[in-house]
Amino acid sequence: MTTRRGFLETICGSLSGLGLSHLLMRDGLLANASAASKTSGSTWVPGIGQTHFPAKAKRVLQIYCPGAASHIDLWDYKPELFARSGQPLPGEENLVSFQGKNGNLMAPPWEFVPCGQTGKRISSLLPHMASHVDDIAFIHSMKAKTNTHGPGCVLMNTGHVQEGFPSAGAWLSYALGSENDNLPTFVALPDLRGEPPNGKANWSNGFLPAKHQAVVMAAHLDIRNLKRPASMSADEEAATREYLKQLNEQHLEKNSSETVLAARIAAYELAARMQISAPEVSDLASESMQTHEAYGTTSENKLLAAYAKNCLLSRRLLERGVRFVNLYCASRASGVDGLLNWDAHKTLKADYERHAPVFDQPTAALLTDLKQRGLLEDTLVLWTTEFGRMPTHQANTTGRDHNPDAFTVWMMGAGVKGGTVYGATDDFGRRSVTNPTNVWEFYATVLHLMGFDYQRLSWYHNGFDRKITDVHGRIIREVMS
Amino acid sequence: MRFALVWRLLNSMFFAVAFCALLSQHGFAEDSNEQAVKFFRETVAPVLAAKCVGCHRADNLKGQFDITTPQNLLKGGESGVALVPGQPLKSSLYLRTIPHEGEKPEMPEKGEALTELEAESLRQWISSGAPWPEGFVLKEKSKADASFWSFQPLAHVVPPDVKSGPEAWRTHPIDRFLLQEMQAKGLFPNPPATPNEFIRRITFDLTGLPPTPEEIEQFVQACPNGLHDAAIEQLIDRLLASPRYGEQWGRHWLDVIRFGESRGYERNEIITNLWPFRDYIIRSFNEDKPFDRMIHEHLAGDVIGKDQPKIEVGSAFLVAGPYDDVGNQDAVAAAQIRADQMDEMIRATGEAFLGLSIGCARCHDHKFDPILARDYYAFYATFAGTVHGPREVATLEARQARAATLEPLQKLKQSKQNEKTEIEKRLAELKKTPPESASENSLEDSIATLQDRQGLLKGEIAELDTQISKIPALPVWWVGNHRSAPGPFHVFVGGNPQQKSEIVLPSGLDVFNTLPSKYEVADLTHEATRRVALAKWLTAPDQPLVPRVLANRIWQYHFGSGIVDTPSDFGYLGGRPTHPALLDWIAGELVKSGWKLKPLHKLILTSQAYRQSSDWRDDPGKLDAASRLLWRFPPRRLSAEEIRDSMLNAAGMLNLSMGGPGFRLYEYQQDNVATYVPKDVHGPETYRRTVYHHTARASRVDVLTDFDCPDPALAEPRRASTTTPLQALTMMNHQFSIDMATKFAGRLEQVSSDMSARIQVAYLLAYGRSPTDREISQAAKVIQQVGLKGFCHALLNSNEFIFIR
Repeated sequence: MTTRRGFLETICGSLSGLGLSHLLMRDGLLANASAASKTSGSTWVPGIGQTHFPAKAKRVLQIYCPGAASHIDLWDYKPELFARSGQPLPGEENLVSFQGKNGNLMAPPWEFVPCGQTGKRISSLLPHMASHVDDIAFIHSMKAKTNTHGPGCVLMNTGHVQEGFPSAGAWLSYALGSENDNLPTFVALPDLRGEPPNGKANWSNGFLPAKHQAVVMAAHLDIRNLKRPASMSADEEAATREYLKQLNEQHLEKNSSETVLAARIAAYELAARMQISAPEVSDLASESMQTHEAYGTTSENKLLAAYAKNCLLSRRLLERGVRFVNLYCASRASGVDGLLNWDAHKTLKADYERHAPVFDQPTAALLTDLKQRGLLEDTLVLWTTEFGRMPTHQANTTGRDHNPDAFTVWMMGAGVKGGTVYGATDDFGRRSVTNPTNVWEFYATVLHLMGFDYQRLSWYHNGFDRKITDVHGRIIREVMS
Repeated sequence: MRFALVWRLLNSMFFAVAFCALLSQHGFAEDSNEQAVKFFRETVAPVLAAKCVGCHRADNLKGQFDITTPQNLLKGGESGVALVPGQPLKSSLYLRTIPHEGEKPEMPEKGEALTELEAESLRQWISSGAPWPEGFVLKEKSKADASFWSFQPLAHVVPPDVKSGPEAWRTHPIDRFLLQEMQAKGLFPNPPATPNEFIRRITFDLTGLPPTPEEIEQFVQACPNGLHDAAIEQLIDRLLASPRYGEQWGRHWLDVIRFGESRGYERNEIITNLWPFRDYIIRSFNEDKPFDRMIHEHLAGDVIGKDQPKIEVGSAFLVAGPYDDVGNQDAVAAAQIRADQMDEMIRATGEAFLGLSIGCARCHDHKFDPILARDYYAFYATFAGTVHGPREVATLEARQARAATLEPLQKLKQSKQNEKTEIEKRLAELKKTPPESASENSLEDSIATLQDRQGLLKGEIAELDTQISKIPALPVWWVGNHRSAPGPFHVFVGGNPQQKSEIVLPSGLDVFNTLPSKYEVADLTHEATRRVALAKWLTAPDQPLVPRVLANRIWQYHFGSGIVDTPSDFGYLGGRPTHPALLDWIAGELVKSGWKLKPLHKLILTSQAYRQSSDWRDDPGKLDAASRLLWRFPPRRLSAEEIRDSMLNAAGMLNLSMGGPGFRLYEYQQDNVATYVPKDVHGPETYRRTVYHHTARASRVDVLTDFDCPDPALAEPRRASTTTPLQALTMMNHQFSIDMATKFAGRLEQVSSDMSARIQVAYLLAYGRSPTDREISQAAKVIQQVGLKGFCHALLNSNEFIFIR
């Protein structure tokens, strides 16, 4: 009827999340569940809130800026790049990268200002984010395995450059199961401008069971098929559901051993509850005017307002027990480089002066809000992008080409040591040179903070015990509190 | 420190005794370098290979330390020098692998420590100057070797004689294998299913659709005293002959070979001309094309079926996977992208036919299976000429016919073109240097005449162009292109195309090199010969994996789980067969029947195992909850395609027209990159069988995705069957469900004006059985409340609709 493992997992996972695991304690089933894992010899059972060891964080907010947001223009201050702007990049005078030839070094068009107690400098493009720098652990020494957006996004979200692998949210959905009984476990919020490069592959369940895929919603986007069709009245719906329940229960009586039938009845009930709770979560009208102003939801800048609403929605989802929120700021590439996302190939200054304000105020307000509500104590916040940008300008332009050899990501919140900087790039931000790290170490660390041993969280598929860290990984202890 | 030293000294003394024994065993004469080398090869190297190389090799490099070659071993790692030949007590290679002060040894960090004997061998080898065999490279040993079960020749098996147990189970060979295994575990099988259950089960199984009420009635009448052999056989023959069979089983195969109709990756542009390959698969299954033939066509259809589109299209298999087409100016990145494309083809081939994860040998020898990196790159060399993209595909006759129509027109056009050029030249000359003799008038006349002629020609040429453009172009399909690829081909160290090592030739897997089918293509002039050679090797009579893997897939789709439950992985990490002898027997039968699938289906479907009921019993359930030993028929949920097709079928809206371009349940948008936006309303043009849906990658399509229809980014040899609230939302609220419920209700209204007759038909259409009196009265009540449509909507959403016993 299903794969053995899938079957057990259905039982141990989806139902227990609904508080119905007692239905399923058929002899030996839970004991069998751990035997289903080929690598883990422990008694850990996926999908029922168990972790491998005590966790620092209970949920994750991952903010993603697609298009390769420039490390050297936003987070990674390189005084030499300012000092030697206009000179050739030493040792790579004839650099050819993704789109072609490069010119000389080009200073960021904005100054970097010291922030907070630590005095760590970030770009003056992000005045609101400046107030959070003391709480952030920056990782400046990331390296990517590809210089192309699509594979890069998928690598950052799934640990693999090929499509078809589960995203971090799907892994945690599988590992932990649901924390609530009326909302999804994993939600992706695409930007008003559209989906990120490689689209749905970024929040895919890959080969994990379908229930671990992200539910897609945003302030501008309802959950698909959430609403009762207009042609059906509420009474009709209620009567239909009632009759359906009767049909299913009678069928279950004749097939009482088939737990998956009980699971499906429960899934219909969860769906009915979602129909009520999801609109409640999305209803931002109940938030105070001050909150709206702080986030910027009323801004005349439509992109800013839309992203601000998604930030606010993210907080509401996290508050209500959604385990993993995958929030996007910008989208795929359009025909014009840098128009819809952070991919500033030709006109860095103009592009980033459009994108940065959209990101800055709402994100900063979201972080402040999470902190004030105490949510940061058990929420892990991640800021990610697929790779960095070159310190040189692209030949005959004032933009920067892709740089897979160095980029910045950061963490904040539960279990994270604020005010830390891990790793460093060279004088110009061209390459990661001190403590080079990668997406696998990043997720090994994330999983650790979530209470999981990255080497044990695996799923057998097509000849391999797959992990988000692939065959790599190491915990970056330096960023942990 | 002192303690440690003392321990070491004591240790050495202790081992001096043990070591003497070892020396004599190996006949290891002092100062004999040759003997020391032999000792290393036989005693030390296996230890290092098993316990150290996993981490300390070029492509892993834990602690920046690689011990696989003497040069790198002597270089040491992060913590400095590791080996001082002649001085084990100065060599951390030795010191860190032995215990200190009762602590467990530092190394190996993962896995078991060296045994005392092993550590002592290491010490002795270092003492003797650490000699290393010329050119020897240490390699990690895979867990499974050539002796692993799946690499053995197909066994000639005789079905066992079973002396006890149900009489009916002691005849059919399959039942005898199964019953023997059950009896060994103290189990016994279920009695037969009811005729209603059986016809629903087998019809979905073979066609992906439910039986019609008439078919049910006929079959039930033919089985007045329960399931009846002749009736079953007749039913099987009818279903196998139905074109619906190829649609259902072709769909299974499309899963296995990751068939998708968009390019994937960032741009994910739609591919509109790969559908002929889907039709080819369906046709091949319906024709019961021998599978060895099909493998040849998949790998080299363009070679063996040149100018025969129906065969040539088979090799679209190679390019039916995702690939990155963004392009890259960075040469290193571009080489990596090309290597990724090759990797995709190699994986697809290895998994689909051999059931082996050859892809795992891309960076290093396979850790679990006896697949060498060299094997991987032998496959790389085999496919090196193949690139993604479309190509003109036509018969020789079609090409000739087109050329024959085209040629006179083009000739005519050419002559007119020549004349026009000539005139233009003369006109230019006349204007530039008018002949002295000519009067002004006559000059103007001749210019005018020429210009008239020029105008006429222009018109005629345009007319010819129109005629030429009206001649239909030859079909262009997404079948890939094959270019010359003369090599040489190398192993890429760590999978990095920039780090080439040994040269490889196209060949099969090293582990099968003792078989007569072994091959190696040394002449690299024609790339096609390599693909043909690979296909021959895969289907050679001595190749055990291919028939085993194929027979197991067939078994899986009938029973829900294969005899090996990891259908594309017959390696160490995969499952072990529950019934090894049975697997070899059915694989043998498959080959005997000339690689035809239909006889194998019939063999399986006529067994008692297939016809038994699904009833659960607690006792066997405790021993075998997943019913792998088939003490009951494992029930299953319908697949996404079966669910959607059944909805259309119940509504009487299913359009059974076959083949051609697919329909789309999404809106295709393209702005540099593609976006697939699922449609809220599905028009009648989409009311075809789901196998004809245009299967784009990374496109979320409500009912399909919700019910585990895989994204063809990767192969899916065995679908999941999960339960999610999104399924409920889609089935309750999507307009398609509402539309189908409405049509279903309309259909019932036409059947009869009598309510209980309508309910009767509804149950037959939805569940394949008649309702009980109680069910009729419950239905009548809800129909009063919400109408027929609401009743139908509930049926389509109900568990019984999508579960089969």
